[in-house]
Amino acid sequence: MAKLTIPREELMYSGHAACPGCGPALAMRFLLKGLGPRTVVSVPASCWSVIATPYPTTALGVGMLDNAIEATGASISGLRAAADALGLEDLNVVGFAGDGGTADIGLQSLSGMLERRTDALYVMYDNEAYMNTGVQRSSATPQGAWTTTTPVAGEARGKLEPKKDIMAIVLAHHPVYAATLNPSFPEDFVRKVERARGMRGPRFFHVYAACPPGWRYDSDQTIELGKLATYTGIFPLYEVENGQLRITRRMGQLKPVEDYLAAQGRFRHFSPEEVRQVKEQAEARWADLLAREKATSTPAPVREVPPAGAPAPRPSATT
Amino acid sequence: MLEIRFHGRGGQGAVVASELLAQAVFFDGKVAQSFPFFGVERRGAPVTAFTRIDDHPIELRSFIEHPDVVVVLDPGLLRDTPVTGGLKPGGLLLVNSPQAPGAFSLPQGGTLATVDATRIAVGRKVGTATMPVVNTAMLGALARVTGAFTEASLERAIVAFVPSHPEENRAAARDGAESVRMEPVAPSSRPSPPSEEAAPLPFPEGPVASLPSNILHTSSWRTLRPVIDRDRCTRCNFCWEFCPDDAFDFDAEGFPVVKLLYCKGCGICATECPPDAIQMVTEA
Repeated sequence: MAKLTIPREELMYSGHAACPGCGPALAMRFLLKGLGPRTVVSVPASCWSVIATPYPTTALGVGMLDNAIEATGASISGLRAAADALGLEDLNVVGFAGDGGTADIGLQSLSGMLERRTDALYVMYDNEAYMNTGVQRSSATPQGAWTTTTPVAGEARGKLEPKKDIMAIVLAHHPVYAATLNPSFPEDFVRKVERARGMRGPRFFHVYAACPPGWRYDSDQTIELGKLATYTGIFPLYEVENGQLRITRRMGQLKPVEDYLAAQGRFRHFSPEEVRQVKEQAEARWADLLAREKATSTPAPVREVPPAGAPAPRPSATT
Repeated sequence: MLEIRFHGRGGQGAVVASELLAQAVFFDGKVAQSFPFFGVERRGAPVTAFTRIDDHPIELRSFIEHPDVVVVLDPGLLRDTPVTGGLKPGGLLLVNSPQAPGAFSLPQGGTLATVDATRIAVGRKVGTATMPVVNTAMLGALARVTGAFTEASLERAIVAFVPSHPEENRAAARDGAESVRMEPVAPSSRPSPPSEEAAPLPFPEGPVASLPSNILHTSSWRTLRPVIDRDRCTRCNFCWEFCPDDAFDFDAEGFPVVKLLYCKGCGICATECPPDAIQMVTEA
């Protein structure tokens, strides 16, 4: 056996109820590899609340709280307060919610948790629609994508509105750490998890989470699709620590977005004009990231102000 | 009243089959009712759907516990799902299988029928090779063996309600009707064997799920199985790394081994394997 590049230890059990080829299942697997067993995860109504809990079993080797869809941020604020009251300062408190539970229904709760400077990690796994209930559009669905509520027929061309920029919303709250992660890059994924684990204060992950039935592609293509998402500039990988942006997967030239779009049934109706718009957006996104990386390369004076009475920074990695 | 229960997997079209059947019955001028059992509706997971047919409005609203007809869209379900549970004596069991009806058993007596709906769906390009959509071929066969609804109404329902490739689906329904085989079966004189239902899980006290999910096996979700060629394998671990079901282990020499109790057959390992040492083969 060659040397493993990510931890061997498994904290996600087999036998869970995810679809074959599930991107969110890989996201949870890598997340728990990076966090280790001293972790509690709050999961709202979403695919993962079903995946994890064929009663009386659980797919997680760590504690899990099943909470209401709008309450993930509030629930991890409460879990953190309880952990601190019990003296469990080394406990990783994590919220793990879908794009609907984060960018739509749970947005106030996420904002509240960030604003309260809760010492916790919020993970949004983004499969770009309400997949658990059968592919209804969310605010994170990309523009033009087919869903059951944004059909493609006659003059209807899929979702009309652009995808909500959740990272911009989160960064406006000045979290201590925010990053984009993609299970097609496991080493980068786990490294970011380990980095976030060693910090205190509000942290946020935007995780790319490919969905074979919802995006209409064959289940064996999950990893290939994720690579294309990053290499085309549709889902670039970067991290922002105390306002300083760093790109973690650098591309000299972006791959053609056509490769990404044509691989999925939800985009198959795109006209050359619609493809061109996606390409321009990807190029603009990439140029913006490069510019922001350059502009923030000298860290600004630290704007992180810990609230009064906050616990002292804890030692880095704890397992 | 005729009561029909469909057993399939998420993605095969069992729920749509029950709805198309109901539409065909309405076109015949009769009354129908169709609804699914809402369980785990993941792609590949076992799915149950129900249809009732009558000449009069149907007031019954319960699940169908004692069907006249059981339709099995995937023969793999016969391994570990009690699909014939409650089937009436003299009832009909229709199975998607390349085998002759005699390959299956029906201790309570009745009629056995088989149709190779997977081959028909693949041939007519309905669905994909990894997940052929077999429902319309099964409905064609069902129309022929029960006579409970006309094949003309079924084709009309397919054209009206199947959103993609209606013509291919219509051809698949015709193929199903033409190629279905049936055989009457006398009741077995021997007492029926004890039910092979799994022992109930040991439920813990209270609302806390405390057992690991790996006591549940997901092998029945699979239609394709990864086979590793050890001569080509470089032990790079990509298959292990990218498996969403943690369905890989390593043997003493460090070669990957598929945990077949859990593999759902997604095919990621075969696609990601750098030396192409993994092939996906059809489950027997």
